[in-house]
Amino acid sequence: MLAELINPYYLQVGCFILINIILGISVYITLSTGQLSLANAGFMGIGAYTSALLTIHFELPIIIGIIIGALVAALCGVLIGIPTLRLQGVYLAIVTLGFGEVIRVIFVNWESVTNGSVGISGIPHIGREILKTLQGFGFQPISIGLQNNQFIFLSIFILLLLITIFVIWFFRRQHQSRVGRAFAAIKLDEKAAESMGINITYYKVLAFAQGALVAGFAGAMYAHILAYISPADFAYHRAVEILIFVVFGGSEVIWGPIFGAFFLTLMPEVLRFISEYRYMIYGLIIIIMMAVRPQGLIDVPLLKALSKKGRKRGQKHGTGNHKSM
Amino acid sequence: MVLEITKVCKNFGGLSALTDVTFSINEGEIFGLIGPNGAGKTTMFNLITSMFTPTSGQITFKDEDITTMKSHNITEKGICRTFQNIRLFPEMSALENVMVGQHSRTRSGVLKSVFRTASQKKEEAKIKDIAEELLDFVGLSTFSDVTSENLAYGQQRRLEIARALASEPKVLLLDEPAAGMNETETSDLFDLIKKIQQKGITVLIIEHDMPLVMKLCDRIAVLNFGKKIAEGTPFEIQNHPEVIEAYLGKEEEDQYA
Amino acid sequence: MLIEQLINGLTLGSIYAIVALGFTLVFGVLGIINMAHGEIFMFGAFIGVMITSTLNAPLWVAFLGAIIITAIMGYLLERFALRPLRHKQGVSHLAPLISTIGVSILLENLSHHLFGAGNHPFRTSFAEISFQIGSITVYLVQIVIFVISIVLMLVLTFWLGKTRAGKALRATAENLETASLLGVDTKKTILMTVIIASAMGGIAGILVGMAFNSVTPQMGLSMGLKGLAIIILGGMGSVRGAMFGGLILGLAETFIVVYGDSGYRDAIAFLAIIIILLIRPQGLFGQKIST
Repeated sequence: MLAELINPYYLQVGCFILINIILGISVYITLSTGQLSLANAGFMGIGAYTSALLTIHFELPIIIGIIIGALVAALCGVLIGIPTLRLQGVYLAIVTLGFGEVIRVIFVNWESVTNGSVGISGIPHIGREILKTLQGFGFQPISIGLQNNQFIFLSIFILLLLITIFVIWFFRRQHQSRVGRAFAAIKLDEKAAESMGINITYYKVLAFAQGALVAGFAGAMYAHILAYISPADFAYHRAVEILIFVVFGGSEVIWGPIFGAFFLTLMPEVLRFISEYRYMIYGLIIIIMMAVRPQGLIDVPLLKALSKKGRKRGQKHGTGNHKSM
Repeated sequence: MVLEITKVCKNFGGLSALTDVTFSINEGEIFGLIGPNGAGKTTMFNLITSMFTPTSGQITFKDEDITTMKSHNITEKGICRTFQNIRLFPEMSALENVMVGQHSRTRSGVLKSVFRTASQKKEEAKIKDIAEELLDFVGLSTFSDVTSENLAYGQQRRLEIARALASEPKVLLLDEPAAGMNETETSDLFDLIKKIQQKGITVLIIEHDMPLVMKLCDRIAVLNFGKKIAEGTPFEIQNHPEVIEAYLGKEEEDQYA
Repeated sequence: MLIEQLINGLTLGSIYAIVALGFTLVFGVLGIINMAHGEIFMFGAFIGVMITSTLNAPLWVAFLGAIIITAIMGYLLERFALRPLRHKQGVSHLAPLISTIGVSILLENLSHHLFGAGNHPFRTSFAEISFQIGSITVYLVQIVIFVISIVLMLVLTFWLGKTRAGKALRATAENLETASLLGVDTKKTILMTVIIASAMGGIAGILVGMAFNSVTPQMGLSMGLKGLAIIILGGMGSVRGAMFGGLILGLAETFIVVYGDSGYRDAIAFLAIIIILLIRPQGLFGQKIST
């Protein structure tokens, strides 16, 4: 009975939702200092290619590949962030957009390493590796009533779910701290933040690098779940797609990108007929949201209203003195 | 001598906002910086806090040259300011605004914050305690949860002072703290600044409210068209012919403008 | 050989300059990066293809058609994606940028549906006509493009410097509030700026179609990115910066194709801006819009 419910297709959609949530959070982190990064698709690509190449050519364990992939992406974030973050916000947006394009051009042209626009296939698959490892200990999925295939997707899904929860937990805690207050202060008024003793360049680069790290991490996971990547996966469309999770869901609280990624990943799967017009609808959503509700669907007042309702029902909700930004 | 301004000039494009301004402030005093609008008073604040760098001249704080130091380092050294046009963090509560003020006196980084180590928890508790204390000090303890943009004007001014005090300054720069205040509020402000002085904090104040300045300040410097035209005790300033001509004669105009 | 490449570079560069002028006008007046400019440019190119290939009409009709359609698109852009954000309390300065990204993705995919994803050739009756001057071959198309670009730049410079509307535009760019106090109808000026910038994008679209004999929905993005790179290179909001920045990029790209690796042509623009940001963040030519 359980076995029938575990449908690889549903699980795969679930995995994409989780990866998109992580990507949405990566943009949200950078935005929480008031900086818009359009390079996160590029960072995702760096994470994906780094991990894929390391695991294929040097036979490193996937986990090592993913960690290195994320770190390389973060390093690129620091390198690109330091010169641009001292300047006006629009420069960052343009430079990050251009950076994403440069990354794509490199993926396409550095054929000896990246295999050009064809992409890389045969990337070690996390689910299969988990299964292989467990089989080494004498475990068989059939013993818990699952097909191998089901087990593979289930294991990835659970792994991703745990990681996503960890990421949310991490950034929620960071938000409710000295670091989070510094981020929020910079977003609200850079000059005032600086005169309160906040090193704004440091925190902006930190937020930008954290965004790059998380995006690189999501990219590396993506590579080891699809087992195939190509430059087109990390182009402008991806950058806009990640952006829209935040624009639609909300950029002021972490639940915004989570909801945005969840809803917008699920919608085309449920409503098949619109999937062809997906990007046109995205474009319209962005224009309408900016005009009508620029902070996104989920914002602080909405959360407050919801948590009041929740408390009436007798639920105890986290009541930190920091309102989310 | 806690703060020394030596021959400071500042040009914007071809226009000079400040020319050869020199004055120094003694520890523990309340020093007034006055002058007509556009005389360069706020520019002076911006130079002291390194929001701009002077074209020439030197600024020293406790015998240390801070002329080209970064803004946030200057706050860490012990100079903090308020703004003429109130720059609170609008969406944060009053308490949070003051908590941000303690940034340079606290240390917890990302990992300590996320894993909430014992030292981080202690620090957070301390930050909160100090912030509540300071809100109480400026008379805003009942508003600690109110979003700062929802506070009344006079309250916002006092909150800004509390936020600046949270950085534990040796020198506090106040940019027109009485602007827009009524008489009772101004008199409360007078008491507050005196209380700040009693804490051992040196105060440098820009203010247009002459009765307040004369009552409050130990010494005063007067700027006009970017030049210092007088310096001395309130009594000396009030009787200084050039000041009367440049500034006090204009006072009525200013007040009813 | 060198001179031929120089001509190629100048042709390409003059088109880049026209694209960059569209960005710079809008940035100068509104302080906004119009991310949809590249896509409007691409629509101009497609209108040109439709008119010359499908309708078999002459080139000047194509120019006229492209100008009209892109001007209308400029109007719609300003009316629906920019104006609603203006004077709105608490809207971040990123809002118009994001809004125009929305327009760009909408237009790009709309063109996929309207024109198909593939390559469209851009035929002109004089595509193959060339001159032989000594050992140098010059195509008529190149001359036409270059002349049109230069004329356009001269007209724009004259218009900004000498006409009433142009002066109003510069006043608005200098300071919106002051301009409005001086009696400039800033609302109209802003709308006019976006429309003119878009129409210039449309013209540039046809020029590119002629130069490369190929039009695709993706060309908007790559040209848009280059336009952005140029205005950072030349200085945001600077008219002269856009012109020279365009020529510099055109020449640099042409020579990298000849003497280096052609695949990295599209990356030069961004290497240039990173270097510029490190050395001279205000760009080669100052800050404000100037002629």
